[in-house]
Amino acid sequence: MNQTDLLDQFVIEARECLEAIGKRLLDVEQDPDNDELLNDLFRSVHTLKGNCGLFEFKPLERVVHAGEDLLDRVRHRTLAYSAELADALLEAMDYSAQLIDQIERHGRIDSNADARSIAHASALRSFVCGSEPAPSPAPLAAVPVIARVPVSSEDLAPSWTSRLDLAAVASKLSVLALRYLPEVGCFFKGEDPWRLARTAPGLLQLHVASASAWPQGEDRAAWDCYQCNLDIVLCTDAPRSEVEAHFCCVAEQVTWCDATANVGVAAPPGEPAVSPLLRQRVAVLWSDQCELLARAGDSAGTVGAARRALSNLLGCLDGPAGSAASASLAEIAGEVSASSLLVWARSNALAVEVVAVTATASEATMPDRDIVAVLPRVEDSSAASPQKVLKVGQEKIDRLMELIGEMVVAKNSLPYLAQRAEEVFQQRELAREIKAQYAVINRIADDLQHAIMQVRMLPVGAVFQRFGRLIRDISRKLGKEVNLVVEGEDTEADKNVIESLADPLIHILRNSLDHGIELPEVRRAAGKPPAGTIRIVARQESDRVIIEIQDDGAGVDAARVRNKAVERGLISADQADTLSDDDAVQLIFLPGFSTADEISDLSGRGVGMDVVRTAIERINGGVELSSVQGKGTTLRLSLPLSMAVTTVMVVESAGRRLGVPMDLIVETVRIPACDIHHFKQARTTVLRGRVVPLRALNDLLALDAAPMLNEAGELAVLVIRHDNESVGLLVDHFHGASDIILKPLEGVLAGLIGFAGTALMGDGGVLMVLNPKELLQ
Amino acid sequence: MTIRYLKKHAVLEGHVAVDDAEALAQWLLQQRVPAVHLGKCEDVHGAVLQVLLALRPTFKSSPADPLLARVLGLA
Repeated sequence: MNQTDLLDQFVIEARECLEAIGKRLLDVEQDPDNDELLNDLFRSVHTLKGNCGLFEFKPLERVVHAGEDLLDRVRHRTLAYSAELADALLEAMDYSAQLIDQIERHGRIDSNADARSIAHASALRSFVCGSEPAPSPAPLAAVPVIARVPVSSEDLAPSWTSRLDLAAVASKLSVLALRYLPEVGCFFKGEDPWRLARTAPGLLQLHVASASAWPQGEDRAAWDCYQCNLDIVLCTDAPRSEVEAHFCCVAEQVTWCDATANVGVAAPPGEPAVSPLLRQRVAVLWSDQCELLARAGDSAGTVGAARRALSNLLGCLDGPAGSAASASLAEIAGEVSASSLLVWARSNALAVEVVAVTATASEATMPDRDIVAVLPRVEDSSAASPQKVLKVGQEKIDRLMELIGEMVVAKNSLPYLAQRAEEVFQQRELAREIKAQYAVINRIADDLQHAIMQVRMLPVGAVFQRFGRLIRDISRKLGKEVNLVVEGEDTEADKNVIESLADPLIHILRNSLDHGIELPEVRRAAGKPPAGTIRIVARQESDRVIIEIQDDGAGVDAARVRNKAVERGLISADQADTLSDDDAVQLIFLPGFSTADEISDLSGRGVGMDVVRTAIERINGGVELSSVQGKGTTLRLSLPLSMAVTTVMVVESAGRRLGVPMDLIVETVRIPACDIHHFKQARTTVLRGRVVPLRALNDLLALDAAPMLNEAGELAVLVIRHDNESVGLLVDHFHGASDIILKPLEGVLAGLIGFAGTALMGDGGVLMVLNPKELLQ
Repeated sequence: MTIRYLKKHAVLEGHVAVDDAEALAQWLLQQRVPAVHLGKCEDVHGAVLQVLLALRPTFKSSPADPLLARVLGLA
């Protein structure tokens, strides 16, 4: 890794640190007594400082160092966390972010940054009881790693392993036991659990039982033999990966257990299979038995129990001492008194302890061995699936996606090739083979596309994170009290969608804060809690992400919106009167609309909601607004999960092929020409009891041709959704759906209205994709 | 068919497929003393195995496959 790579890495990590710090600062402000949050915050700052030191970025390190000192005081409760302190820290953090931007651009920090960094640092230091000398720079220590000792609940073999005779297979080097509980409906999926189990690689033993009890008596008649009720336990000596591959289709129905680790008891003599821990335990239990026997007046039952315990303990130990002892125990036949057994136990205790002690001593060189022996599974699993994260620049992913897009287009040319082979060259056999190959490539391409989508998916929470800060700052400035509630931040969507969401959301939140949430006094007078709530809820609905922004503020005043719209000349007074309240509220989306009487730094410029709608529609999203006056406003954004691949319907009109985005299409119908009503220039038809206006696509595109009728005298009508109404487009032919990579119009074509973009088709042709919304306006 | 239903017992032959499970179960339930011959049975489907395990007919002869025999408690 050379210096530049290292610097890139530093920038990425520093950004991450700053993001984490920003989030934690707000969290800590909410809950200043939470030690865990404070420690976490401190760690992030410390990491950042350590990273800076690596590069000699003095100004940055100075600020961060001051922040670290300050937080250290807070952490040790010698300084109270306050809003002012948070302000200073947040400002210092912003400054650090600027510095990091500089570093990214120029690879160094401007020399004039020194003065400001000193100012920030001294602002921070002023909180630290002033008089103290600046502490010497801390060594560039790594982040304190919290030692985590994994705790396993599976240090003992699960009970189901008892169904196998593991002792019989103890001579194998590695034995893997597994329990396979097929799901109830597995027979209907064509699975045969029995066959799967008995064909397992390296199968040693197999045991089948019922998962729940078999039906008895009357129930037998009603029993459904196709509801799987099998519980299969088996053990094998094949490598785990091989067995896993065998059961890969039902992996979630299989429980694993490394039987080798658990049959240590039955391991062959001569191998140090008995763990030192076991030996220690045996010694402890042995002395317990001695104590029990030493107690006066024990019954014969107790003596018998103690004897059994002792012989079992001996069974746990191998080696000559153990077997000799068990032989001598067997000699004490029949009924024995407590005292005689005690004498024997004490005399043999030495043998047991010798075994134990020598074993422990031999292991003493490896002090960690105990834990390893008790938790073999935990280590295994962590070694098998290390959680590794690969940091890849976005441009690399984008490049990969472009390539996959090209691949998708290239693959689409195969069906044309097959068609040509059949029609032009009369090679039906070849055509079929090409189609078969196409099916394979199609599947792989689909998988590829899916995989790259997954890589590009980001949780929406990534955008929401910055809002905490935004709301805090604005509400403090406006003197309002606001709680931000975020739900569903794990909902995922394509990175581009998420990124283009940030600006509109900031507009929306500003609007909510400025116009929606009232001042605390006003809220109290209206019988609401003084602190307003802004709720952001994200969730996924089929292939769309829904984001709702709700506030419990004043709501939109429909009458005022009407007046303002008329005042600003956006609509006429007549129009305004005919609008319902719900429709009037939508006027705020008009360009140039603003209800604020004077321009503040927050609003009043009349670009607010218009910008929001344009930005959301640019990524194929939609905005809906509903507002109840006095109760609050809800904005509902609906966004596509991904923008990479668009499904379009290909239609033909006047000999030209055109694409129409699938999500706008309601239906395709053929309507007899006689069912079309003409009224002056307008054409309509009745579809399921509703009047649908019809427009000829040729007219909209200024093509001089009449819509073509088919042999039955019918017109092809593509019904699309336009502003919550259905509009029928008259076209000549339908050509089915196609997945395309939509390229926006660029350069000379950029100003073209009525088209969303172009796409390359499999036959090499260019498909123009319509934007019906623009076309119909 | 890979199952022949005789007067006193059913004979399972070759590979007994999943479709036979229900008929076998019905037949076994109707018998007063259900019995099956497994001597010529090579393998059974999981559903058939389940029927045999659940309704526990008398096994007149054990199958050639030792694993199957073990699971049915015949070895």
